[in-house]
Amino acid sequence: MRERLSYYIKRDSALHRLNPLTKIILTLGILLVSLISPGYWTAHALLIFAIVPLSFLGRIWREFFSSAIRLIIPAAGFIFLMQAFFQPLGETVIFKFWVLDVTQESLAFAFRISTRITVMISAFTLFLLTTHPSELMSDLTRRGLPGQFAYVIISSLQILPQMQSKARTIISAQRSRGLDTESTFLCRVGSIVPLVGPLVFGSLVEVEERAIAIEARGFTSTHVKTSLHEIADTKFDKTLRWVLLALVILSLVWKIWQL
Amino acid sequence: MAIVNLQNVTYKYPLTQTAVLQNINLQVNEGEFVAVIGPNGAGKSTLCYAIAGFVPHFFKGEMSGTVEVAGVESAKSSLSEWVLNVGLAFQNPFNQISGAKYTVFEELAFGLENIGVPRDEMPERVERAMRLTGISALADRSPYSLSGGQQQRVALASILVMQPKVLVLDEPTSQMDPIGTREVFGVIRTLAENGMTVILVEHKVEWIAEFAGRVIALHDGQILMEGKPAEVLTSDALAEKGFGISRYTSTARAARTAGLWKKANLPVTLDEAAEGFAK
Amino acid sequence: MFEKMKKDFTTMTWVLIPVAIAINIAVGQIVVLLKLPVYLDSIGTVLVGIICGPWAGALTGALSNTIWGLFNPDSLPWWPVAFFIGLVAGLCANAGWFKSWPKVILSGFLIALTAAIVSTPISVYLYGGITASGSSFITAYLLQTGQGVLSAVLSTGFLVEPVDKITTAMLAFAIVQGLSKRLLARFPRPENAEVEQGSSSSQLVTALIVAVVVIALGFFVRNMLAG
Repeated sequence: MRERLSYYIKRDSALHRLNPLTKIILTLGILLVSLISPGYWTAHALLIFAIVPLSFLGRIWREFFSSAIRLIIPAAGFIFLMQAFFQPLGETVIFKFWVLDVTQESLAFAFRISTRITVMISAFTLFLLTTHPSELMSDLTRRGLPGQFAYVIISSLQILPQMQSKARTIISAQRSRGLDTESTFLCRVGSIVPLVGPLVFGSLVEVEERAIAIEARGFTSTHVKTSLHEIADTKFDKTLRWVLLALVILSLVWKIWQL
Repeated sequence: MAIVNLQNVTYKYPLTQTAVLQNINLQVNEGEFVAVIGPNGAGKSTLCYAIAGFVPHFFKGEMSGTVEVAGVESAKSSLSEWVLNVGLAFQNPFNQISGAKYTVFEELAFGLENIGVPRDEMPERVERAMRLTGISALADRSPYSLSGGQQQRVALASILVMQPKVLVLDEPTSQMDPIGTREVFGVIRTLAENGMTVILVEHKVEWIAEFAGRVIALHDGQILMEGKPAEVLTSDALAEKGFGISRYTSTARAARTAGLWKKANLPVTLDEAAEGFAK
Repeated sequence: MFEKMKKDFTTMTWVLIPVAIAINIAVGQIVVLLKLPVYLDSIGTVLVGIICGPWAGALTGALSNTIWGLFNPDSLPWWPVAFFIGLVAGLCANAGWFKSWPKVILSGFLIALTAAIVSTPISVYLYGGITASGSSFITAYLLQTGQGVLSAVLSTGFLVEPVDKITTAMLAFAIVQGLSKRLLARFPRPENAEVEQGSSSSQLVTALIVAVVVIALGFFVRNMLAG
């Protein structure tokens, strides 16, 4: 149950220096192009000509490849297998496994879908590795996102690990009192309430005090909010954002053309 | 000139029948240090909320009478404006951390960002608040990685940085160990010396005796007694009504019955007790 | 309408949302640990829907999936499903359908239908119907029997979702009932959680019977679609 919630690697690189909004649009751009474009090889091309070079540009290729091996490839591999076996596509049977046919067509489909998933997850991972959450939120708030959103996102990121460690404590405490969390189905169903109850009620009771605390610090103030950090937005950023938008529109046009 | 002025304040929480505050009249002068004591359920926290504007703005319910700070009435102001007048810190340091920031420095700036303080004024105000509370060395740490005493000082600093006219502290050390308590009272001492107007709810009467210019004893939502710490904290009426009193006071009171305490006044602190018994 | 929406987003709501997101994820992980055949990863979303209104619920759902996506990227594309779960839960609560056990089951069923319908296009378009979730084995089976992708995915949804979402709705209702009246009153819509008069234990029994019937109905519908 242990997951790290901040992937950010502090480093000085061209990718790190990009404005956070530009990086969001870059991520979404890659995502949308891989989704919309009807070309069979689009996702593969994006992986080789965008994702990999970006990981070098951001000087985080080592971290990127390690998370690719740990997370992305297993997920994509699983999807590949599921698709290859279960998609009832085509006639050209390559081999049979029990009642399942693996055809040339289902393999081709599986290869495309799993690469597309790989591209989408990779783009997201690159974004997380090179963007600090508070930088992102400061920039978006400056651009008019209500300040409450920044609060919600960042406090979720900080509360979740606390809640997970609380969950671990509760699980081990209840187990040591003899709660059965492993044997029969009914026992496991029965153990939901003693595990979830304390976790949920404990955290809900705190809500009132935490609301008072941020209220005491002007959370609902009607003044225009300012920001401690100044986040650069260069001319290059602005141009890049327009280029990315154009690419998304281009793939949309391509898609409509094909219909 | 009274900076805080409560006139006939009576208040009932929603869904309840009895008034938690009954006809409270209280004036606090600028630069004064007032301590509030009382048994559980006396209405101490509610009094804090009333001065800090959370009653009635946040809690709703029925309030009569007026709360004024610096001549402005709380019911006629909004909570987000009111917090610029009165700063509030309370017991649980963990719940006072906003959660919206990753470092102590940013945590202090959170309030300034909310009220729209220009960026170039922020570092100076944040650093001053950190110096005042002795947390400058923690600037780049995560607020969640700190000890209770450190977190409580961060909470105090986060309020002080907003430069309120009055500071309301609701049992700021009740969840602290002795080290944390000493750290937090160290900060409170600095504030008192700097002439801050402070209203402190506290159980630890020995500390009150040291700082407070005036003590208010609250009981069942009413002000039972008011006066100099040495008078109020040693009063016989307090001990009978279940107030937490200093062990030195109760020891000396027992000693007085046995004829072993000769001084006219009972002690509150260890030093006073030692001096009295030495005679 | 915008003004009404704004009224639901009090400071209490903003503070509750991150807590609810953490509840979604932490409980979802406990359920995985217990190896139960449900997700139960939207209890927090439904809770917010009930006591803070549909839009707060929707926001909780959408953000919850986004944040879960940080360490489980597969949950990311499903944010619209979570969005609608919160929205429908809130709408049901506003209609007074979170006030007694039978009504809660009905709400859970509606939430399940919504989830099944909203997830279908995502599943079909993004994964060709075969997702990374365990329920895809059912879809795969239906596909092998010669069903179209759309109907295979939809009937899998109708089959799997009711058990999960009815349980979720019931747990969220139980949590709301467990909160003190004083605390509930701080939230924007405490009236949504007032329990209707009537003996609650006999209601619970009726409710459970309704739940079983609903699930059986799900099987029936699936068979009809499959046949």
